[in-house]
Amino acid sequence: MSRQLSEIITEGLTKRFNSFTAVDHLSFEVGEGEIFGILGPNGAGKTTTIRMLASLLTPTEGTAYVGGFDVVDDSLKVREIVGILTENPSLYDRLTAMENMEFFAEAYGVSDRQARSKKIRELLDFFDLWHRRDDKVGTYSKGMKQKLAIARALVHDPDVLFLDEPTSGLDPRSSKDIRGLMEELSRREGQTILLCTHRLEDAERLCSRVMLINEGGMVTIGTTDELRSQIAGTPILRVRLGEVSETVVDAVRSMEGVEEVVVDGNTLSMSVKDADEVTPYVVRGVVMAGGMVQSVEVLKPSLEEIYLKLVVDEDEAE
Amino acid sequence: MRLSKALLVFRKDWREVGRNWEVLTPIALVPLLFSVVIPLIAISAPGQVNTGTSREVLIESIMRGAPAGVMEMLAGFTEDQQLTYVLLVYMFAPFFLLIPVMASSVIASDSFAGEKERKTIEALLATPLTDGELLFGKMLASFVPAMAVTILSFIAYTVVVDVGTYGLFGAPLLPTLEWFLLIFLMTPALSLASIGLTVLISSRVRGFKEAQQISVVLIIPIIGLFIGQGTGALTLGPPVILALTALLAFFDLLIFRFSVLLFKREKVLTTWK
Repeated sequence: MSRQLSEIITEGLTKRFNSFTAVDHLSFEVGEGEIFGILGPNGAGKTTTIRMLASLLTPTEGTAYVGGFDVVDDSLKVREIVGILTENPSLYDRLTAMENMEFFAEAYGVSDRQARSKKIRELLDFFDLWHRRDDKVGTYSKGMKQKLAIARALVHDPDVLFLDEPTSGLDPRSSKDIRGLMEELSRREGQTILLCTHRLEDAERLCSRVMLINEGGMVTIGTTDELRSQIAGTPILRVRLGEVSETVVDAVRSMEGVEEVVVDGNTLSMSVKDADEVTPYVVRGVVMAGGMVQSVEVLKPSLEEIYLKLVVDEDEAE
Repeated sequence: MRLSKALLVFRKDWREVGRNWEVLTPIALVPLLFSVVIPLIAISAPGQVNTGTSREVLIESIMRGAPAGVMEMLAGFTEDQQLTYVLLVYMFAPFFLLIPVMASSVIASDSFAGEKERKTIEALLATPLTDGELLFGKMLASFVPAMAVTILSFIAYTVVVDVGTYGLFGAPLLPTLEWFLLIFLMTPALSLASIGLTVLISSRVRGFKEAQQISVVLIIPIIGLFIGQGTGALTLGPPVILALTALLAFFDLLIFRFSVLLFKREKVLTTWK
């Protein structure tokens, strides 16, 4: 059965190892071409989830479909359309980069020699590894191995990419390149990417939606904006003035969409329901009330704050 | 099962083994010992080879099951010729079976267990290669080098024995029909059985050394053959070799079927060190 609207669908996905529950009834969907992030502390169940979706582990309960294929009944089909970057680079140290790439390309069914060579060249060039193609991988640095492992995951142009900590071990420039590549793959090639990461910066920049998991279970799921409003209620609009007068404060308090105005020196801070909509009206209202606006700033909680609030606070509460 | 995919795994493993000194060293040293060093000692001083029993008893017990033609030939030999002949043509034959078993078990132990140890197994299991293709490829990667080492050792042994004993016999002793059957029929069958068992063990243990330690038990039946031949209970003549080969071939089929049935990616992946 093919389900084209969503590339990944899980319902009640659960994995138990004896009495330990690694993944506990996860249900989520990832749309075609979407970059979806799974965030969580060590041992939260991120890697086990990816392994089940890549047909490496069999779910104890629940179902999962990748590209329309059941991860249990159509495991070979799932493996054909999936590219995976595992927790470890999983490369053969005694083989050269070229030999590694050739092996995996053929294993994934890229049988045309010319197409294979072209794709490998393209990937090794992109990752700046072409000049080291005939060196044994054992001589590579950690960052180079990580880049080669990502290249390997892409060698068969997979429809779905599972990336477990893709920027781990990479320098800032390489991390930026990888993020750029992921955006391009998602936007231009329509590849669906499931990204497991500790790097909240990566998730914030790349993912259209994220799922926070802890101890195998889902804590929350949504766009980063949705998560922000979940924990912080509303964004804060901060307006710095030349001088604060009562007229200005009253004018702001009476505006629709503005809640709870706090005065701190020459700065007015207010909760607003929709910052994009309300900000121009607030600025105009302040100016019309005789205020001199020096700066305007919208404060939203970062993904890190959301993460700390939802995952770390939950652990501490227990 | 797609043979091309199994061959792909074989080529990959073959390359890796060829660059792994931890695996290559025992594969090179043991055959050198059995095919060159020990026969040279036996040729230069047959009386000094400690067989644990007297010459007469040894010759009599080993030759009990030998073909009548061989018995007649031995009757015309001197005592030194008899002992040299019995040692080099009959007594060492079971030792030679250790070469493919040792070589294949070293490589096969490294198959899944080595990949687990080096943390390369997950990417391999994530490929769309079937269980049969993975297993068959891994088995081939052990079988081909094991047989290559065995045949090369056999050639070296034949040359050493024939050159070393030419002065004593005036004619080459090897190869005989028994040795041909042993090397080209029984050895492949035994090697496959050993590989099948070792790969199966290797997929279910945590590391290379653990797999190798367990697979050492495979040497026990060969020691049994050696004792059987030394005590006269069993002589490795053509009928015995053919019967054992048939038995091993049947065992090979069973092992491969069981291996495919018992092979579980999840088990391989989750049995970490």
